[in-house]
Amino acid sequence: MYKPLLVVAIVASLAACGSASAQDEQVTEAEKLFALKVRPLLREKCHACHGADSDRIEGSFDLSSREKLLAGGESFGRDVVVPGNAADSYIYSMLKRTEPDFAMPPKEAEQLTEEQTWWVRDWINGGAPWPNDDRIAEIYDRYAEGVAWKTSGGLSDEWTKRKYQPEDLWAYRPLWKDDDKRLKGETGSAAIDALIGDRLCDAGVNAAPGASRQVLVRRAFFDLTGLPPKPHDVAAFVGDARDDDIVYAEMIGQLLDSPHYGEQWGRHWLDVVRYADSSGFANDWERPNSWRYRDYVIRAFNDDRPYDQFIREQIAGDEIVALRKTEAGATHSATATDSELLIAAGFLRMGPWEHTGMSVAKVTRQLFLDDITDSVGQVFLAHALQCCRCHDHKFDPIPTEDYYSFQAVFATTQFAEVDAEWLSSENRSGIAEDRRYHQMRQKANSKMLNVLSEKKAANDQKWFEEQGLPYKTRAEAKQADAPKEHFPPNNLLKTPDDFGQERIGRKWQARFPWEMDRYKPIAFTVYSGKTPPMRSIAARIQKPPNPMAKGRLENTAILTGGDLFAPAKPVSPAVLSAVPGGLEFSVPDTIEGRRSALADWIASPQNTLTSRVMVNRIWQHHFGRGLAGNPNNFGTTGRKPTHPELLDWLAGEFIRSGWSVKHLHRLIMMSDTYRRSTSHPDAKSLAEKDSENELYAVFLPRRLSAEELRDAMLAVSGELNPAPGGIPVRPDMNLEAALQPRMIMGTFAPSYVPNPRPEDRNRRSVYALKLRGHRDPMMETFNQPGSEKSCEIRDSSTISPQALTLLNSDETNDRALAFAADVLVTTASDAAAVEVIYQRAFARRPATDETTAAVRHWREMEAVHSHLTFKPREYPTEVIRRASEENTGEPFSFTERLFVYDDYVHDLQPHEVDARTRALGDVCLAILNSNEFVFVY
Amino acid sequence: MNHQLHNRREHLFGLGAGVGSVAFSSMLAEAADSDGAQQPHFPEAKAKHCIFLYMEGGPSHIDTFDPKPKLRDLHLQEFNRSGEEQSAMSSGKRYYVQSPFEFKRHGESGADMCHLWENLAGVADELCFYRGCQVESVNHPTANYHINTGNRFGGDPALGSWVNYGLGTENKDLPGFIVLPELAHPQGGAANWSNGFLPTSLQGTPLRPKGSPILDIHPRAEITRPHQRKTLDFLGQLNKRHANRHPGHDQLAARMESYELAFRMQMQVPDIVDISGESKQTLDGYGVDQEPTDNLARRCLLARKLVEKGVRFVQLYASTWDSHDYIAKAHGSLIPSVDKPIAALISDLKERGLLEETLIVWMGEFGRTPDNGVRGGGVAYGRDHNPNAMTVWMAGGGCYAGHTVGATDEIGAQAVEHVHHIRDFHVTLLRLLGLDDNKLSYYHAGRFKQLSQFGGKVIEELMA
Repeated sequence: MYKPLLVVAIVASLAACGSASAQDEQVTEAEKLFALKVRPLLREKCHACHGADSDRIEGSFDLSSREKLLAGGESFGRDVVVPGNAADSYIYSMLKRTEPDFAMPPKEAEQLTEEQTWWVRDWINGGAPWPNDDRIAEIYDRYAEGVAWKTSGGLSDEWTKRKYQPEDLWAYRPLWKDDDKRLKGETGSAAIDALIGDRLCDAGVNAAPGASRQVLVRRAFFDLTGLPPKPHDVAAFVGDARDDDIVYAEMIGQLLDSPHYGEQWGRHWLDVVRYADSSGFANDWERPNSWRYRDYVIRAFNDDRPYDQFIREQIAGDEIVALRKTEAGATHSATATDSELLIAAGFLRMGPWEHTGMSVAKVTRQLFLDDITDSVGQVFLAHALQCCRCHDHKFDPIPTEDYYSFQAVFATTQFAEVDAEWLSSENRSGIAEDRRYHQMRQKANSKMLNVLSEKKAANDQKWFEEQGLPYKTRAEAKQADAPKEHFPPNNLLKTPDDFGQERIGRKWQARFPWEMDRYKPIAFTVYSGKTPPMRSIAARIQKPPNPMAKGRLENTAILTGGDLFAPAKPVSPAVLSAVPGGLEFSVPDTIEGRRSALADWIASPQNTLTSRVMVNRIWQHHFGRGLAGNPNNFGTTGRKPTHPELLDWLAGEFIRSGWSVKHLHRLIMMSDTYRRSTSHPDAKSLAEKDSENELYAVFLPRRLSAEELRDAMLAVSGELNPAPGGIPVRPDMNLEAALQPRMIMGTFAPSYVPNPRPEDRNRRSVYALKLRGHRDPMMETFNQPGSEKSCEIRDSSTISPQALTLLNSDETNDRALAFAADVLVTTASDAAAVEVIYQRAFARRPATDETTAAVRHWREMEAVHSHLTFKPREYPTEVIRRASEENTGEPFSFTERLFVYDDYVHDLQPHEVDARTRALGDVCLAILNSNEFVFVY
Repeated sequence: MNHQLHNRREHLFGLGAGVGSVAFSSMLAEAADSDGAQQPHFPEAKAKHCIFLYMEGGPSHIDTFDPKPKLRDLHLQEFNRSGEEQSAMSSGKRYYVQSPFEFKRHGESGADMCHLWENLAGVADELCFYRGCQVESVNHPTANYHINTGNRFGGDPALGSWVNYGLGTENKDLPGFIVLPELAHPQGGAANWSNGFLPTSLQGTPLRPKGSPILDIHPRAEITRPHQRKTLDFLGQLNKRHANRHPGHDQLAARMESYELAFRMQMQVPDIVDISGESKQTLDGYGVDQEPTDNLARRCLLARKLVEKGVRFVQLYASTWDSHDYIAKAHGSLIPSVDKPIAALISDLKERGLLEETLIVWMGEFGRTPDNGVRGGGVAYGRDHNPNAMTVWMAGGGCYAGHTVGATDEIGAQAVEHVHHIRDFHVTLLRLLGLDDNKLSYYHAGRFKQLSQFGGKVIEELMA
């Protein structure tokens, strides 16, 4: 309704002021310069301090009109701009940064290019004309370079009509079609090589030869499963006499069928969605049921769930269930499919979230809405939408109206932890034991609280006595209807210890029942309905029997400047209008169905972003970088694709294959591009011609990620328990870090204690408990990202604490010793032992001199070890917490029992083995620290 | 992601040997050519180091440095607050609470302090009080993130990372950003000293007050240094042979070097954290081995040592000031536990001629309310969180010592004079350290990012 009217109005005004229009009158070059270059430049670089806010004009220099400009500021007066004479105009020297102390703009990063200063120069020399807004609009329309892009419209007409550089809009264009036959009929993996080959050819670079089977087997195993190949895997692959392609394809197929595939690739997805087992911020308590979402993701990858379905399940799983219920009517009974869908929608709650007594409910709600708007944008569409919360996007065609329309999709989304029956595939094996320890802790806590209430009662009694009152207890006083002053003060505890312990005990007591939910079939999910009143959250959030009964139905409006308390124009749910089809796409404004519609739009083959975004993520994990360098930002400021046609061709293949991620893996991994060696015969010339490593002439080596490193150590030592899924496991953590005191909401968080049995501790890292506020230092040191923000790509920098951890930690030393002991069991000679170690750790046989060196070192260390006696490691069964008590400021202490350590079965320890084994352990420690182990080629 | 290019920057920072997987800005590249220290944007700035005394939990300005006699008249008067802009805890029946402490003016400047600041009173003229700062968040972790990183939701670089990014390092064998936390980490955890999107080598390194100062700094007790040397030599052999087979892969050399650096650190770090070599007079002055000061005294003394060694940014945490109830007791015992160590730190730095080049900042994540709610059925005078008013003070480093800038209203509920958002205070801190927030930017995820997020204004009144 609104839009067409606006267009008519513009046409009318053009007609009305015909004589003054740019079409008829001569437009001078200087006017054009001003309209197209100088004014946008002033706005972007200067107005923030010189004109946008008339109350705050820096140096009294105002650039908002020609009159004010010519009046100058306090420093240069009227000489700041001398129309017709740029050389005498101070503004020009300031912008050139040649005016001492007055380089403008002050941000060096924002300094003008030489060309930009010339615009200003030429404009001044042309008389510094300043056409009015209408005329500027006309000049812009006629002469501006670039293309306009249709959206729902910005806050200003100028924004709506602004033009973009065509190359910046690549992500909104339809997928590339091979009209000029660049693929020359190639299909499948050969098409990848053809498109990669084009750029190599243009650059005059030869690709590196293919990697050997020995190298490929380790590359493929780590890539698809995050685990090293076992010696027999290597032997089978390397020794197979059949043709490379056949043997290799067979191996890829086997790896894709492995349950470890989903663990590895699910983990990549969990980085993007910020998975964690706790809430973060002030209420960093555990989220007891979060793990079911983690397993859902792993399952989805293992099942090769079509990506469009994967999207729908995560954005609208609960709505799909509701629809199924409605359709089935009274006959509907909850199914495993329902559970799966409800768990999947947990995606919408993966961000950190807090609501405390200090929080304002409305603000908390808005924080969620802002967070989910931005993260759905980043995860599925590679658009960080948060920029548009306060204003139309500065660079992308995303108006602020779209931000709030998109947000309106989630205005009826509410949190709940609902019953969802177990799936037969869910691993529930650890539950009974975990529950038992939980109950022990709960019992100990109750006991402590009982002692404190007895103390309180005794103190009450004493108080009554001292006051000469006839009562012994509060109950008696109450029964006798005693006046207020005849009651003892509320919390009649004496010592800081009592105060502190009571506070901790009380808060834990409140928390325990909620944590017991971990063992129940509950989904951490959402539903659609009114927004219920929210007090501070201390227990499971139940879904109300009637989601429409209580609360307020949110009507989303554009929030002026992002201010929650300044709502302006109301908006209806909608999708991004810049994406072709987005403007026409209709999202219902009913309570239910908004997210289903959004999911349909995102999961549509016509959506130009969705398939590209996912294909780019997949590519990135295979090659270490995306074809487009910012997987979460396909907007104008993200890095452009290095091989746009390839990205598009893959995106098309993805859709044609029925959104099969495994199809993409096969395509990519079967290509020559993927199978290249990491070293180039002419490295020097390659470095010159491809300094940014954009051409894929070689395969780039990579360091193992934190999880891969730990899992690989467990795999080669023979300790890895490959069991899939289930409640979070708790590996050993550096003991000092594990017992590091941590505050949550005025109490101590329970200590981190590992699982009592090695087989439960030594599970894959993706199953390890992930607490936002208490991270495993080893994981953190090796660049595992935090869960505050979506992680598009992990850092893999080298820092010295990594060396300390890998060399000195109990975790690696335990692995090294277990590795040595395990190898000694099966080998008969020193040389044989070294050979097995090399095969397991490096997926190759040692050369003779390597064996000799290792054996020599082993002997040398054995001599050292024969004089050493190792003490058994001691484990704490309790930890004493000291802190200053919040209400008294006095120190208090509190003892926490660590029940798990009563039953703790330690990994193999030095005191349990002989000097020879320990010495081989030292050899293994060096192997696990070596570059060959931590890098994949 | 160019592993083939040799990266000289990786040995720049003691702890960190950050290899170029991040696109380094030109600023770091320049640093690599010098000895590590960089020219600040404002060479005339005095401060070269910063000691940030973080009073975690939110100290009450009303009960420390900003007296409100009006609250005596209003004491225990009830009122009701409601509306959707109120939290569960701040709405409903409330009453005004006077400060349980007496106030006096100290020094020539006549600085307001409650009577418990016995030692700080002696250095009153070194302090610059600021009462105009406002923040946004009312919850501890988000407020901590805001103070420390400029972003309420965490994930961005901490102030100490930015300062090191801008000024470079003076001591290549030590991290430039060291955190001395309480035994318990502050709420929000290590993200409070994260390098965010800046190179990993700029992250804050916490030195633990008990046990191993840096995790895993030593092997288990039975392994001697010569023993570990042998392991390292064997590792060196393995890596050398491997590197010969992968000549183009430069990350290998960086990783090899990181082991040697780690081995050296094992010797150096315990030496640095050892304060036993200090004179008895110094130890007593700070309050080492005395209660209730020992805890902070040790860390204040260590902070001085670290600054002497060239560490740019040291952050200390003292907790917890979150006195919702019983403020008379809670603040009553907290103030004496920090008063002496902090006053000693200022005097000590001054005597050594280091105060001028060391900016000291004292603040919490927010101030507290002049009123309290009725909780737990009893009346236990305390105060809730208040993002609209707080007291910050600075010493040394070119701040406007001997002055109080800004003011709060008559009950301490709102800042009313020289009111600035925390981002302006951030810009001011950088400015005192010779850095220009607008120039200290880093290209990440499609735009230049800076500590103040969107730019801010120097609070000129706080500068000498």
